[in-house]
Amino acid sequence: MPTNDKDFKAKLGALPIAHQRHVGALFVQRVLPFSSDVRLKAALELALRADASDAELTGAYQAANTARVESYTRCGSVCDWADQAGHFVAKAVMACVSPAAEGESLAWEAAMSARMARTCQTVADGSGTENREAEEQYRILEAFLNN
Amino acid sequence: MSASLEKGVRVLKEMIDAPIASYFNSCVHCGLCAEACLFYTETGDPKYTPIHKLEPLRRIYEQEYTLLGRLKKVLGLSKPVTDAELGEWQELVYNSCTLCGRCSLVCPVGNDIVYMVRKFREGMAISGHAPEGIVEATRRTVSTGSPMGVTMHAVKAQMKHVEEETGISIPLDVEGAEYMVLLSSMEIINFPEYLSAIARIMKHAGKTWTLCSTGFEATNSGIQIGVSDLAKTIVSRIVEGAERLKAKTVISPECGHAYTALRWEGPNLIGRPFTFKVQHILEVLDELRSQGLLKTEGFETDRLTFHDPCQLARRGGVIQPQRNLINMVAQNFVEMPDAGKMNWCCGGGGGVTAIEPAEALRIEAFKKKKSQLEAVKPDRLVTACAVCRTTLEEGLEHYQMNIPVVGLTEIIAEHLPEQGA
Amino acid sequence: MNELQFLTWVRGTGLNIAVGIFLLGVLWRLIEIYSLGRKKDLAAPRHVAGASGWHTMFRRSVPPAGMLKRSPVSYIGGYVFHIGLAIVVFLFAPHIKLIESLIGLSWPGLPSQFIDLAAVVTMAAMVVVLVDRINKPVKRYLSTFEDWFTWTVTFLPVLTGWLAVRHLLLPYTTMLALHILSVEILLVVLPFTKLFHAFTLWGSRYYNGAVNGHKGVPV
Repeated sequence: MPTNDKDFKAKLGALPIAHQRHVGALFVQRVLPFSSDVRLKAALELALRADASDAELTGAYQAANTARVESYTRCGSVCDWADQAGHFVAKAVMACVSPAAEGESLAWEAAMSARMARTCQTVADGSGTENREAEEQYRILEAFLNN
Repeated sequence: MSASLEKGVRVLKEMIDAPIASYFNSCVHCGLCAEACLFYTETGDPKYTPIHKLEPLRRIYEQEYTLLGRLKKVLGLSKPVTDAELGEWQELVYNSCTLCGRCSLVCPVGNDIVYMVRKFREGMAISGHAPEGIVEATRRTVSTGSPMGVTMHAVKAQMKHVEEETGISIPLDVEGAEYMVLLSSMEIINFPEYLSAIARIMKHAGKTWTLCSTGFEATNSGIQIGVSDLAKTIVSRIVEGAERLKAKTVISPECGHAYTALRWEGPNLIGRPFTFKVQHILEVLDELRSQGLLKTEGFETDRLTFHDPCQLARRGGVIQPQRNLINMVAQNFVEMPDAGKMNWCCGGGGGVTAIEPAEALRIEAFKKKKSQLEAVKPDRLVTACAVCRTTLEEGLEHYQMNIPVVGLTEIIAEHLPEQGA
Repeated sequence: MNELQFLTWVRGTGLNIAVGIFLLGVLWRLIEIYSLGRKKDLAAPRHVAGASGWHTMFRRSVPPAGMLKRSPVSYIGGYVFHIGLAIVVFLFAPHIKLIESLIGLSWPGLPSQFIDLAAVVTMAAMVVVLVDRINKPVKRYLSTFEDWFTWTVTFLPVLTGWLAVRHLLLPYTTMLALHILSVEILLVVLPFTKLFHAFTLWGSRYYNGAVNGHKGVPV
């Protein structure tokens, strides 16, 4: 099991794209409840399917992007950290369905954005800066690799 | 005259100086300022003509500072400025002006219109005619430290995230560091990758740096509504922190007006020169590049273009650094038409994005940026201001243009050589 | 009074009054405006060659990139009539003679046919910019009585002067007297209307250039 992010990142980057989408989606599933946007739920389900077509992925990517842009905290308004968590969920979902190029690490992007979503949620509920999201993500990857 | 209007008019009188007097007396009603303003060019509505935004101030000038004007006033022949009129002007002075300053660059008789709008906002604010959104943001900054309610707690959460991600520890309240890094609330909330990029770049360049717990916020909406007292309070926190921590240089983040607020207005707000340097992050990166301390590897191969944030380039004087930096990491960088100091505003600065009723107008004004992008056809758009980024993304989304927007510091950090174990 | 008395008056008393008001008016207005002063800029300047008040005073005469296309009439019409006015006022022999009698300086003039052409071109350009002011939404929106009035007091001297030289419309003596009177009106109103931009545009450009030059932006 990875014990640090350098190791984690390397292992994720070594996976084929289809697997990265799947693992990324598993990370995002943990934080999906922070967003009520149905487009994100649908996109995530797509990322978990091995048979998603390029056209379907593109559609989901565009929908997730719209969700992301719509959920930016507007400059000058009070930041609702719970809402902001939803913004990072959208970003994480985008990583899972984005058109992939060689060498890119979709799963790492998804992992980082999912962690940001968790961080926002902990700020929102005042439970402090500590969260164990990284360890949970290591566990998920380990379980995936062992299957 | 009601108490607020009286205060407002008094403040406006105090705002008037020789430049403003010179400008009002030079205006020949040629209308060229309108041709430079995206709110006019994209709507065709002459009420958005920049010099027209200042009509109440012009009358106050005439009635208070010219012999003939004072004579006319005594004879009852002049039209006084009323509270209703200032109320009517709110839309012109705030919703349809981002303080982008393009008008000031084209006026043939040399009028610095944005200078006047900035000062006019002081009177508008005191008389109670500043938009609610920005007034609230400013109050929040003064009482909590951030216009968007970002506390040290949230900053620490983000620091932890970045420390995990990069494996680099983020210094806080370290004395004697070369750089004191400021953040904007927009970045802390929406773009955590900025702090991550800073951490990686500083490590690579071997520079010492720190955040400051009592002065981490760069955003200064006091500047935007035009309340210099509040703007001064906000700047003072940074100054106090920088002097206490003995930082050599304070770095202003990828935020437009934060730079002009600190670098150019700051010393004038607190009434004395700074004892430390102020640089925008892009200036710092460019300096590191020219000193050979910032080395990158690899290139972006897609077609990139750069949107110059108004407060950074035209209003801030940081025009070349971004070009030097992009050329370090891009093989296919192309300039959009009017790039550099004449670039067009994204439409979101100066507090406009914080004014909800201004949204429709802002989207319409975005057609100017859209036309620039249609001319240059980039694969991606690079910029260096958090509000420009969100404004651009919202505009692109609205007009269904598929052009991802990225921050320049982020791209630079992505091209740092891989670090050793 | 008959036409000769009228001419004598405008040449003598009238001219003295008008020039007097003009000179005192200009002086007073310059003091009224520039004595307001401005605060010193305490921010550390950024030095960039070519970015200063002095540079902008002259550079601003060139239309910035993209602007000429947006309003060619403003720039071209504006330049033609300003230059035309300067040619007619300062390079016409009788005018040079008048200036010589007032301040002792003189210089060679241009042939009268050239001045005639310049006057006609100036008037044509002025009509074009007037029509533009009426037609263009922004100009129309901004325009007040003062804009139409100052156009008229600037146009009449050129028109009456041209008519006088050409011996058209009215007997020469009357036409000449009207011409001189129209110039006197122009002189008297200049310091107190937007025509004063002739003097203040230099200060305005300077301040603009200085403020931006302080930040290292050449404007």
